[in-house]
Amino acid sequence: MARLTSQSRGQLAAIAQVRWHILTHSLRTTKGALELFSRIVIGIVITAGGLGGAVLLGVVASYFVSKGKPEALALLLWPVFVFWQLFPVMATALSETMDSSHLLRFPLNYRVYMLVRLVYGALDPATVLGTAWLLGITLGVGWARPGVLFLWTTLVLIFFAAVNVLLTQMVFAWIERWLAQRRTREIFAVLFFLAMISLQLVGPMLSRYGDRSNATLHKISHVASPLQAILPPGVAAAAIASAADGRYVLAFAFLAGLLLYAAAVLRVLGVRLRAQYRGENLSEVARDARPLQGYAGVKPGWSVPGLSNPVAAVFEKELRYLGRSGPMLLTFVTPIIMLVVFGVRGRSGGFLDNSPDLALPIGSAYALLLLTNLIYNTFGADGGGVQFFLASPASFRSVVLGKNLAHMAVLAAEVVVLGVGVSLLFRPPSLLAVATTVAGLLFAAPLNLAAGNLLSLYSPKKIEVATFGRQRASQLTVLASFILQILIFGVGALTIFAARHYASPWLAVILFLALAAISFTIYGLVLTRIDPLAQRRREILTTELCK
Amino acid sequence: MQEAGNAPYNSTAAIATENLTRRFGDLVAVQDVNLRVSPGQFFGFLGPNGAGKSTTIKMLTGLLAPTSGRIEILGLDFERQVVDVKRQIGVVPEGLALFGRLTGAEYLTFVGRMYGLDRETCARRATELLEFMQLADQPHKLVTDYSHGMQKKLALAAAVIHGPKILFLDEPFEGVDAIAAGTLKSMLQRMIARGATIFLTSHVLEIVERLCSHVAIIHRGQLVAQGSLEELRAGVEAQSAAQAEALPSTGKLTLEEIFLHTVGGTRSAEQELSWLG
Repeated sequence: MARLTSQSRGQLAAIAQVRWHILTHSLRTTKGALELFSRIVIGIVITAGGLGGAVLLGVVASYFVSKGKPEALALLLWPVFVFWQLFPVMATALSETMDSSHLLRFPLNYRVYMLVRLVYGALDPATVLGTAWLLGITLGVGWARPGVLFLWTTLVLIFFAAVNVLLTQMVFAWIERWLAQRRTREIFAVLFFLAMISLQLVGPMLSRYGDRSNATLHKISHVASPLQAILPPGVAAAAIASAADGRYVLAFAFLAGLLLYAAAVLRVLGVRLRAQYRGENLSEVARDARPLQGYAGVKPGWSVPGLSNPVAAVFEKELRYLGRSGPMLLTFVTPIIMLVVFGVRGRSGGFLDNSPDLALPIGSAYALLLLTNLIYNTFGADGGGVQFFLASPASFRSVVLGKNLAHMAVLAAEVVVLGVGVSLLFRPPSLLAVATTVAGLLFAAPLNLAAGNLLSLYSPKKIEVATFGRQRASQLTVLASFILQILIFGVGALTIFAARHYASPWLAVILFLALAAISFTIYGLVLTRIDPLAQRRREILTTELCK
Repeated sequence: MQEAGNAPYNSTAAIATENLTRRFGDLVAVQDVNLRVSPGQFFGFLGPNGAGKSTTIKMLTGLLAPTSGRIEILGLDFERQVVDVKRQIGVVPEGLALFGRLTGAEYLTFVGRMYGLDRETCARRATELLEFMQLADQPHKLVTDYSHGMQKKLALAAAVIHGPKILFLDEPFEGVDAIAAGTLKSMLQRMIARGATIFLTSHVLEIVERLCSHVAIIHRGQLVAQGSLEELRAGVEAQSAAQAEALPSTGKLTLEEIFLHTVGGTRSAEQELSWLG
């Protein structure tokens, strides 16, 4: 890169200064100070992880080289590579990333813009840890074979680090591109969610197919071995191994391979950065131009028997909202997916194979638990729309009731689907299992709704339904929800225990129904007090949800 | 011109406030505001940034509780007859209060039903409003995918679907292009012609001057002027004459000049920023 002009240097200094100001100003608030504190704690953990990992990798690298197996360094470089690439992607789900496009209104040249992206993008834990671990490997190799191989390893791993930094930036840049639009963002969120579910399934699948896993692993390794050799960690290991064996021409060829990777990644990253630099319009406004095929005016809203106009309107609105959010929908199908996974019978027979009558109550409890994500922050997805609820003549009780009914309709539908699933995968649930499940839900659901309605008013937090992985409720709500779930599950366990103790399974149903009467009373009491409470909390609601 | 604090509390007014005050901790955002808006008036509520405009409109629409004072809308006490008041008014608040994951048609029918209209009436009015606002050509588009101008038009359509007698608009022309602004103005003038009262805040003084018959100016939380444009103009001229002050223009004072004179916002740039050329 050519020498930077004094103006460019001044711009880089100004950007560094403004980031410093942002940091120091954030300390004015308690939240900012706590944020810094948590960063320091995380920093200590990262430092410990970096040093510990570096020592461990260094010792293993030294062992491989001293035993004449330098090609085995690939076994060390692969975990470093995978961590370096995956960790920042996972961290994207947990935090906001710097939007460098704000800088484009200033007269920055492309080189400075790219440098800013690379420098600030590289200041992440993955780079720090990855660099520390590569340093450990380098020193380990140097310890075993000081001299030319140490210097060569240093050179190779510098290039390997560069490939990692550039690849991370490239992945980030493209993820940002996909996250910029609602539709691609939702597709991405669904893929992310499926990946998370897949990770949960690794354990059950291994336990079911454990006896076959060795053969499968052999098959996988047979295919993967040549593939890994041509990817950056394999190429870097081969460059070091070739030099260790004295085949310097081959070693240089592998080093050139790493350089090619770096150049290719830089090129793809450049496509994104150039598009950003030129200024791109990612608006979806102009794209959806579906013609007016058969448009015959606006259709009336849903008619829901027994519900007043405002309650029915909110009910319809909630279900439409849920139906249009991919991540939300997946939240609801998760219990069904889990049931299917556990229902795939292995040779040994799982927990639910032995006690199929537990499948429906466990699945239903899981479904209710997932639904608390919505119930405990019921206005979160409405955002600024909450102003409409406050300004409209409909009572807040109607609004809350409409939302609660929509959520319960989802739960009911899910329980029915679970029932069908249990029937197909195991056996039709017994009447006792169905009655216990329904009675248990009648006890637990109104309590959760009552608590959720209160917490939604006391501790609201805006939700962007198209994003994923971010905290969906306030810390207060999370804590209160946790305590209530412990109480509900505790009471539920005691009820089941009492029924077993008296050898009367139907006693649990009767007890749950008695408890349900109390739950409904509590729910009703909370509902009657919602309007004055909402009036008192309207400022908090608008402040938090209209951000 | 009526001076601040002198407006009589009158229960026949469309909007009347009595010593309306709102504090945020130690900060007094709105202090002893006595507004009076007669039925059928197109009323502009002006003030510099941070003067208390949005706080006032939020209190007038039930989005924020006053610390003290009274609000009466069409003779109804806001605190005691809040639901009856809300039935009579339409609101386009600062954040527009839209539900992004509904289509425009779904949003309008939803709003109509929340105001107690039956399903068929909601559907009919929604169709007419979408066509009038030129939003009907993409019925499947979600509100979140609307442009800013489209969202403003939809918010106004939603605010009038129940046929309110008073319409509160917070910065309705902010970020709106000339075509969308034309549609909005056309809708508002039609409402005024039919006897509705409109209360709007705006920084675009030219639009206020063209549309509004009456204006109030709030500055640092206090009402500093209220009356018809002519009354305000006469007041400024009389005050300048009394203080032997030269007015910025020799012809008819514009609303901008009245505003700047009232809030003391005039500043000579000639002596400063010489490097600007």
